[in-house]
Amino acid sequence: MKNILEVRGLSLSFPSKRSSAVKVLDDVSFNIRDGEIIGLIGNSGSGKSMTALSVADLLPETASVEGGQILFDGEDITKMKPKDRRLLLGDKIGMIFQDPMTALDPLQTIGRNLDEVLQIRNIPVRERKDRIIEMLKTVGFIDPEGVYKRYPHQISGGQRQRVLIAGAALLHPRLLIADEPTSSLDSVTTMSILKLLKSLREKLNMTILFISHDLYVVRNFCDRVMVMKDGKIVATDNTEEMLTGTNNAFIAEMLAKSRLDPSELLLDMPSVDYSGSPILNVKDLVAGYSSGILSRKARTKTLKEISFDVYPNEIIGVIGSSGCGKTTLAKTICGLMKPTDGEIRMKEGMGLGVVFQDPGSCLNPSHNVRWHLREPLIASGSKLSPEEQDKVIRRVLEDVGLEQKHLGRYPSQLSGGQRQRVAIAMCLVLEPSLIIADEPFSSLDAVLAASILKLIAKINRERKTAIILISHNMRIVRAMCKRVIVMSKGRIVEEGLTGEVMKNPGSDVTRELIEAEKMLGGARQSSTGA
Amino acid sequence: MYPCDNLGLSCYNQLTMEGLINGKAGYFGVRIVELILTLFVVSFFTFAAFSIIPGDTARVVLGPNATEAQVENYRKQTGLDKPVAERYGDWIRGAVTGDLGESVSFRKPVSELISSRLPVTLGMSAIALIMVIVISYPAAMLSSRRPGHALDHILSVFGHVIFAIPPFVLSLLMIVLFANLFGFISIGRYAAPSEDFAQFLSCMLLPSLCIALPKIAMTFKFLRASMIEERASGYVKTAKSHGLSDVRIMVRHVLPNSSVSTITVISLVLSDILGGSLIVEQVFNLPGLGRLLLRAISVRDFPLLSGMVLYLAVITVVLYFIADIAAAMIDPRQRLSERARP
Repeated sequence: MKNILEVRGLSLSFPSKRSSAVKVLDDVSFNIRDGEIIGLIGNSGSGKSMTALSVADLLPETASVEGGQILFDGEDITKMKPKDRRLLLGDKIGMIFQDPMTALDPLQTIGRNLDEVLQIRNIPVRERKDRIIEMLKTVGFIDPEGVYKRYPHQISGGQRQRVLIAGAALLHPRLLIADEPTSSLDSVTTMSILKLLKSLREKLNMTILFISHDLYVVRNFCDRVMVMKDGKIVATDNTEEMLTGTNNAFIAEMLAKSRLDPSELLLDMPSVDYSGSPILNVKDLVAGYSSGILSRKARTKTLKEISFDVYPNEIIGVIGSSGCGKTTLAKTICGLMKPTDGEIRMKEGMGLGVVFQDPGSCLNPSHNVRWHLREPLIASGSKLSPEEQDKVIRRVLEDVGLEQKHLGRYPSQLSGGQRQRVAIAMCLVLEPSLIIADEPFSSLDAVLAASILKLIAKINRERKTAIILISHNMRIVRAMCKRVIVMSKGRIVEEGLTGEVMKNPGSDVTRELIEAEKMLGGARQSSTGA
Repeated sequence: MYPCDNLGLSCYNQLTMEGLINGKAGYFGVRIVELILTLFVVSFFTFAAFSIIPGDTARVVLGPNATEAQVENYRKQTGLDKPVAERYGDWIRGAVTGDLGESVSFRKPVSELISSRLPVTLGMSAIALIMVIVISYPAAMLSSRRPGHALDHILSVFGHVIFAIPPFVLSLLMIVLFANLFGFISIGRYAAPSEDFAQFLSCMLLPSLCIALPKIAMTFKFLRASMIEERASGYVKTAKSHGLSDVRIMVRHVLPNSSVSTITVISLVLSDILGGSLIVEQVFNLPGLGRLLLRAISVRDFPLLSGMVLYLAVITVVLYFIADIAAAMIDPRQRLSERARP
């Protein structure tokens, strides 16, 4: 088969005045065959995005290419005139990015956002609109004329990603580079986007370079997989061979580390007494956002008559797609939002902690870890002496897998995973009996996410803390939670033991979530060789 | 077809206002009520403040030789003996109909005094505003294109310098530079626009520039930061991946987006200029509002002062209102909040 892209000896670094240059890509060479879907996987910082940006010539200005060739269709594009190289983008090489929420100009309609691609190539106005409408139809919009006139904020994240795919595919490029296009989308949306990309490959005869940190997403989507580590490509093989044969040590380790095995995690969990009194009782909860000046009545109800109990020691999953009201539920239970109706009752003397999605924005950048861990103690009016406080802090620190040396560090000196551990530790110093964890792993790569989930399971096991785990991913809920609540459009549509809900899903929402799980890694047992 | 219809993020409704028609009317309604309320509060407090501070209008008007009886008599005639609340009531009733009372020092209606000074202030403001926009936008575009490069540093230093020089020094420098060295700009011979428009314009240019320069530096600094931020955003990356040129991305995407937040700064700048620049008017000997205000304060001319404060309040509040509407015109997120489903 012919190669559409050949990269030879590509090296890239970020020169720095103080120290020696930071090498991001180190002699990277690979081929992409015409018509294939090739995955490029690796952990955060491994250089996968930089590889893609080098091909597209979209590197940040501070990066310096130290050498190498990039042959597109046999021609070395690094030697092209800047203008020709620029126009190659969109024309021959299309690209889509991770965050569809910010990737469209918010001040222009979808139509105008896409129109420019054709306008700069001097295509007549009439034809431009027809082609855009046609492409919007191709990417799955039932009412393309309507979408054409809308503004980006009027459509959802998944729909925006479709619009962006339409923009990238508008000129029928030969190669589509997809840089983590689904990392910020929920599992059901991810599945539909992957299906769309697959169908586009057939229709437009495209080759796709698919970048991801998630082995489970890559598994059912790519023909071949390349693995990157520390700026080098460490392995390339057909997906099946790569992920089933464990002859590559790094892959085996990555697989093992990102694996969540229900049989392993669930067995260790403390038993739950469902006949006893619940630790948290939520009854007919209604909450929403009001837009009136004088009335506090919610105009838009985000939560509608939510009722459920949480029992001591259990991990209960709350699952649903983006916008189903999961996060509002978490905010309302922990008091960040006032309910408009209904009751939330905690068992007397029980404390409540909460861990949010984005660990970066939860920590104060001007204070170190010690301050963050002491603050909850001070705020709660703890009568412990400073020495006793230190003892508590040290114990918690150890529990979340951090070391003494981290106490003096500031959030900017910690990695994403470490920051999330600090956020969890902040919640543990007060020894709560219930923790609400609102997707505490979603901004982390697969390996780190798994390690945080394992930490949560450990807290549940060792401290006997009940946990409400909020997620959009059935795989995670299945591995972690005995009991699950399925939410959709602000309501609870299903509730029960996870195994039973999986076996006999009682709603379309649940069926969709299960289908997404199957596609994104349901074949786990057979392919991990476990 | 793909099931993209039900991928909706319904929570987006929560963050926004009601539908197009409802929301728009409600939004503007609220803003207008806010506007009127602000005017009342500002005018009441200034009126009250002027009644508390020492200095007696009647005494000022009649001079130190007037007898106590004469002063008392004057007070009765002009209603100065009434309680503050009542006087405020009378005054605000007049203000609504356009009658701001009579200046005690000029013996002319306050509204006439303000409107006679308005051409100078309006002329300077308009020219200064044009200068601010025409200079700060291109400068910010050049600067933000390559932050940290030589051109960026030069422009930033230049900005800091004009911002740091006190206005009266700047004014004098300008006079020396333009009038003495080049000699083509007339100074000090003010002509009303109705008499000689060309002369009016030419004597406006230099003072306008003096007012505009620090504002240019301020707007530039703000715009530069905003443009650097916008250039790092996702839609710029998308535009690049579509093959768009740098210049096009700057003009079509970065410029409008950074304008949304800059409009507020420009409205601040404009309300500042419209208040009249005391120092520049003094240096260039122009009959503007700044000098009128100074006169009103020095002679305790309360009717004139109250009238001027009301004028300033109206200008400020109305400008904010316009800025909000302008931002809503540029930014559909503020205008159309309804999340329609395709």
